[in-house]
Formats: sequence, C-alpha cells, structure tokens
Amino acid sequence: MSLAAILMTVLGVLWIGGGSVWLLTRRRYKLVQVPSFLMDLVGFPVEYAQSIWGRGGVPYALLLPNMLIFGLFTFVPMILNFYVSFTGGTSILLFNRPWVGLQQYADIFSCETIFEPRTCSNAGFSFWKGMFNTLWFVVIQVPVLCVVALVTALVVNKNIRGRGFWRAMFFYPVMLSPVVIANIWNWVLHRKGVLNEMIGGTRDQLSAMAGMTGFDIVVTVLLAVVLMVVSERALRSSDTPSLAWTAIFGALLALLFAWANPLSLIGLGGSIWLGGALALGLVLIVSGESRHARIAIIVAGILSAALLISIQFDAVFDFGRYRPINWLVQPNTGWPFFWLVFVFTWSHMGFYMLILLAGLQAIPSDLYEAARMDATRPARAFWRITLPLIMPTLTVVLVLALIRSFQIFDEVYLLTGGGPGRETFMIVQNIYEVAFTNQSKDYGEGAAGSVLMAVVIAIFTFFQLWITRRQSEL
Amino acid sequence: MLNRLSTFLTRTAGNKDTAERFGMADVLAYGYLLLGVLIVLVPVLWTFFSSIKPERAVDSFDTRLLPIAQVQTEIEGIGTKPEWIHEAEDGGERKVFKAGPTRKETDVAPIDDPGDVFKVPRTQLRPSEEIRVATENYLDPLLKRHGQENFTFGIYLFNSVFVTVMATLITLIINAMAAFALSKYRFRGRLTFTILIVATLLIPSSIILVSLFFVVWSFGIFGSLWGVIIPAAATPTGVFLLRQYMLTIPDELLEAARMDAASEWRIFWRIVMPLSLPALSVLAILSVIWRWNDFLWPLIVLISDPEKHTIQLGLTQYAGEFDTDFHYILAMTVVSLIPITLVFVWLQRFITTGIATTGLK
Repeated sequence: MSLAAILMTVLGVLWIGGGSVWLLTRRRYKLVQVPSFLMDLVGFPVEYAQSIWGRGGVPYALLLPNMLIFGLFTFVPMILNFYVSFTGGTSILLFNRPWVGLQQYADIFSCETIFEPRTCSNAGFSFWKGMFNTLWFVVIQVPVLCVVALVTALVVNKNIRGRGFWRAMFFYPVMLSPVVIANIWNWVLHRKGVLNEMIGGTRDQLSAMAGMTGFDIVVTVLLAVVLMVVSERALRSSDTPSLAWTAIFGALLALLFAWANPLSLIGLGGSIWLGGALALGLVLIVSGESRHARIAIIVAGILSAALLISIQFDAVFDFGRYRPINWLVQPNTGWPFFWLVFVFTWSHMGFYMLILLAGLQAIPSDLYEAARMDATRPARAFWRITLPLIMPTLTVVLVLALIRSFQIFDEVYLLTGGGPGRETFMIVQNIYEVAFTNQSKDYGEGAAGSVLMAVVIAIFTFFQLWITRRQSEL
Repeated sequence: MLNRLSTFLTRTAGNKDTAERFGMADVLAYGYLLLGVLIVLVPVLWTFFSSIKPERAVDSFDTRLLPIAQVQTEIEGIGTKPEWIHEAEDGGERKVFKAGPTRKETDVAPIDDPGDVFKVPRTQLRPSEEIRVATENYLDPLLKRHGQENFTFGIYLFNSVFVTVMATLITLIINAMAAFALSKYRFRGRLTFTILIVATLLIPSSIILVSLFFVVWSFGIFGSLWGVIIPAAATPTGVFLLRQYMLTIPDELLEAARMDAASEWRIFWRIVMPLSLPALSVLAILSVIWRWNDFLWPLIVLISDPEKHTIQLGLTQYAGEFDTDFHYILAMTVVSLIPITLVFVWLQRFITTGIATTGLK
C-alpha cells in the first residue's frame, strides 16, 4: 500500500468514525435530518476547530484544504524544480539522484551562440529551437488574438439580431477539447481535404471564366463603376468620409492591386501585400480623423483608375493548375505555423471575446449618447471613448493571452507534432519530451528547461505590464 | 410606399426610438458574422457530415455534402459486387458489375444476367450511387465489431465523467471554504494567504510539470485518476471569483444566524453557499470545461494504462493507431464532442453571460 493510501485510510476513519461519534454525542438528529447530519460530517473538522479554538480558529480550518493543495502541488513543485534541475540521472526517487550542480544548465547553454540553435549541443538545440519558435509564436499570436477578439466583441456588441446566438457561436470552440479540434482541422487541412478542394474549385472556375472573351473588359468596367459608387458614398457627407464605405473601398483597392499586379512591371512580386498595406493605411487615416482623409481617398481613387487602365494593356488571366498544398506538413512554407496561429485563435478567441464584451457593456451608454448629440462619428467615438475605457480589460486580456500562448502544447502536439522538421516545435513540448517520452528520461534537463522558461515568462509578463501601464497613463 | 418598404426592410432591432437605419456598418457587421459562421461552424459541421459517409467515400475524399455510397449488390454465385451503370452509345442504361479487372475495355456483366459478359469502354461506366448513412462508422468501435476493439468508449467516458465530476465537486467545496474565510473573517495572516493565492495565479502549470510529477509520484497517486483530480483541485481563479461574490453578502445575515447559535460551518453551508450560487455555477462550468478538455497532465499521468484513459487520451491514441481509418476517427471525434456540445446548447445563455459578468480565467 502506498503512502497516500495509508494516509487516506487513517484520515477517512478518523473523519467519518470520529466525526460521527463527536457529532452524535453533542447534537440530536431526527431521522429526517440525515442529510443535515451528512453535511455536518463533511464540515466536521471545521466544527471541531470551532469547539476547540472558538470562532478565531475557523478561518484557518476553512483555508486548510485549499492551502494544503496549493502548497503540496504548486509551491513545493516550484521549489523542487530548482532542486531537480541540479540533479542528474534517471531515477524517480529524489534521494537517489546525484547532485550535478549547474551541469544541466551548462548543457543547454553549450552553444557557440544561442541565437543559432544549430551550433548547440543536442539538449541546447532542442531547447533554444523550442524557445525561439515559442517566442515567435507569442509575438504573432498575442496581437492577432487580441485584435480578433476585440473586433468580434465590437461586432457582437452592436445592435444586431440574434446576439445571443452569435455570442454562443463564437464561444463554442472554447468548449471543444484540443483533440477534437486537432482532428477537425486535420480533416479540413488534409492534402485532399475540403480546403484544398474549395481553393482548387474556385481557381478552376475563375480560370474558366477568365478564359471567356470580353471577360476582362466587362470586369474592368464593372469594377470601375463599383469603385466610383463606393468612393462617392465614402466622400458623400460634408465633413469627414464614412469609415464603413472606406473599408469597402480599401478591400476593393486591395483586390485591384492583386489583380493588376503593378509591381510586376518592375519585376517584383508581392503586389497583394502592398495593396493590403495601402488599404489598411487608408482605413487608418480615415478612422484617425486625419484632416487629409478626403485627399487620401481621392488619391487612392486616382490610383485605382490608373490601375484599371493598366489592366487593359496587361491582362494575364492564367491561374494555372492548382497543386494541393499539404498545409500541415509542407516544410519551409510557413503554412504549418500559420495554421497553428489560426487554429489557436479559432479555439481561444471566444473566451477573450467574452471578457472584452463584458468590458464593453460596462461602458456607460450616456457617453455614446452625448457623443451622438455632438454628432461625433462612430470611428471617433471608438478611438476616444471605447478604446480608452476598454484599455484595462484589454490589458488583462493581453496578459492572459500571453501566458496562455506561451504554454501552447496541446494543439501543436496533436496537429503537427512539432514538425515539419522542428518548425513548430514549442518549448513545452521540449520539456515534455525530454522528461517523459525520451528513451532515457532526463528529468533534470526538463526541470532546468522549466526554470529557464519560467524566467522568460516572468520577464515577458512584467515587461508587458510595464508597457501597458505607460500607455494607459498617457 | 416604396420608401416605407425600404425602411421596413432595413430597420434594425429596437423600438421606434432606438432603432436606426440599416447602414453600411451593419452590412459589414453581418458580413463579419457570416465569415464567422463559415470559419467556426462549417468545419465542425463538415466533420459531422463526413463522419456519416461510408468508408470508400471518406477514403477517396469525396467532397459532396451528402453521404453517397456506391450500391453493393449480392449476385448469385459470385458474391457482393459494387454496382455500375453502363451507358450505351444509343443512350440506353443498364446496371452491370465488373467481371474482370478495370482496363480501357472492361469486362462487365449485367446484374440480372451474370453469365452474359461483354466488353465496354471504361468511359461508359459510372458508379451506381445511393444515399446511405454509414452507421457502421459509429457502431463498429462502440460495439467492438469488425476488429475495432481498441476504442473502449464506455471506459473512457466513465473516466472522463469521474474526473470531471469529482474534480469539480472538490474544487467547489474547498474553493468556497477558502473564499468564505478570506471574505468574511478578520484574522491574522489574511493578507499573507491572499498574496499566496495571487502568487499561484502567476505560476503556470506547465513550468512545474517535471517536479509535480515527482510530488504526485511520491504520494502514490501517479497513474490513478486521483493523480489528475487532486493537483488541480485548488484553483486561484475560483477562490477569487467566489471571494469577490461573497464580499457582497451582507454581514448582518451571518450575525443573525450567530444569534440563533448556528455553528460557523452551518452558516457557511446554509447561508453563504446558497447565496453565492450564481458564482458557484460559473466556477462549476469553468471547472467542467477545464477538466473535460485537460490534455497534457493526463497524458503524463495516465498514458501507460489504457484502462485509465480519459476520452481525450483514448481519442488521441485511437487516431494515432489508425492513421488511415479516417471514417472511424471522424465518427469517434463526433462522439466525443457530443457530450460537451449538449451541455453547451443546454446552458449556453447561462455560460456566456456568466463568464462575461464574472470575468477572468
């Protein structure tokens, strides 16, 4: 029998037996009061504490079980982590582990330079590879998660039909387990999966359509008309341009850039990114209430006219045959990493959205009414009322998201397993593999990794808190 | 008239005074929601629709929505054969089966006359299809038929439910006790205890993984379900959530009970617990989500004994073992998302408003 079993038996006998005797000698219970008796029995230690020390002893008795578990399963391991990281060998018995001093840390740091994991020893390579991948992941994931959650919260907070349903829908993935999520996305992202099928189908249809005679003329004219209408709507009101219409205009502009591909004239790719950046810049200028917003839209309109004309001369409509991508396996494409960010956002966004939603709903509505009285535009109201007032909630969300994405393990382990190669190999997976799945279970190494990871998380959190504090003061 | 019609069509929710005209911003909002449906719901529904497809359709990555299967016919003296439709050049159609290997010119024979073998070009053949829900995807692993004996769903479900229910009960009781002590008593060390609990909030579980393993091992609960239940039972989040709520309970109530000579435990159980039911139920829901979806720690503690696997572990093992049997994996994925989905549909309003009003994780 194990130590715990003996302990539990003794405790159980004392609690139930002793407690029953103690209670029955002091109080009278009728037969219908059996539930009441059981309830008293559960709280017997508290009752006992009260009878010995009076009311002053009660809070300690109430705190005891919680603090016991915190102590044994959080604080003790926290300290023990340091000890284990100074020991070597593969034994599970603590007193059987030889003291090796800083050897484990030295292994991890035995690199020519830690910024180039290739130059490290095996242990160092895994650790630093995992660490840098995780840092990259956090740097990309946290802003993406916060922005998506904020946008979703804003949309759900609008005066729309079926708010409850939408809120529930965005929250639903949070309820799903990582295994289910991984299986679902594995199925969707498979090389022959539905995503590739959809992309391929759309592309074939576009190619077929583009092959028709007169297609480019019709589309150009159509696009020109749509652009004119949209830019007119954006500029219609007398003072500042409409943000919503500008957003649509921006989207069309980005599309036009992707199509006309102006950078190919000077032999460069990436027009689609340039277009996206320009569109984003336009939207930011308009939302920021800049005095040059109208001019910016007009310039963008002239630019789009020029692009439309350039299409006439240089229309290339060959999308070519689509070769399905193995989204989660193809090395050196960045796609596995992208889908990891995507799936992580997909599965965690709902939770942060709810927190932000609570923050949004706590903003008093008379502020918005006052703004409306002053004919403040919605974009201005967002920057001047919503954002400053949501800032405390957003800070909380930032910190939570940071700690959460630093510990990413389940999704990666189940979706890509750290691959292809070590492209998506994260730090927690490194600790898990070193300590629990490798042939020789190197607990010391794992513990040393955990200590270093704790240091990095602490630095990150404090840095972030410091930055956000500075921002909210300004 | 037209004007009124367009006003009617473009109005938004609200009464006469609060409703606004349906503007461009609303179009964008609904567009975003539509995108949300596409990204959030469609993959889940797609998985469900795929899981009821027959094995062949799943293996060939048939992307049609409905579960379409090739008709299998029992032919006397030959056995069960997939049915094809031969489309002759004159437009006549005949149900046939392949009597030989598929070549450019394939040997086929009509279903109703198996002896009459003739050659047709492969291009004139198309599969004879029917809509059939492949219940075997679900029933084979669940009933352990056809060699699918490795997915012991009953055991997994029991383990998962046991862990979830036990951990949630323990969490609720001990967290409520701690919260009660911290919110309703003045005693030496109250601040120390509060700070200690804040500190645990800052210690992520994954950095104490290795040494927690040592602790759990030395307690002898490694490899048992209790090794998963106990270490995570005390949650700082829960203590804080409940403490904030209990601070709003008036002290007069407790004083009145003390006048009636109620013991402190009875005050806790009879007055404080019922009054903090809203916060308790939020914590219960959070705890259920955490425990049910927990993966890394059960993976370390329980992986070696298949009898102790939770649903998550069982599904992982199963998916790893049969990397190609997608139809079973998909079906079991759907089976394991059903319980939590039902809970969610049943309690969704409550869950979303509860978490939104009480906040943090």
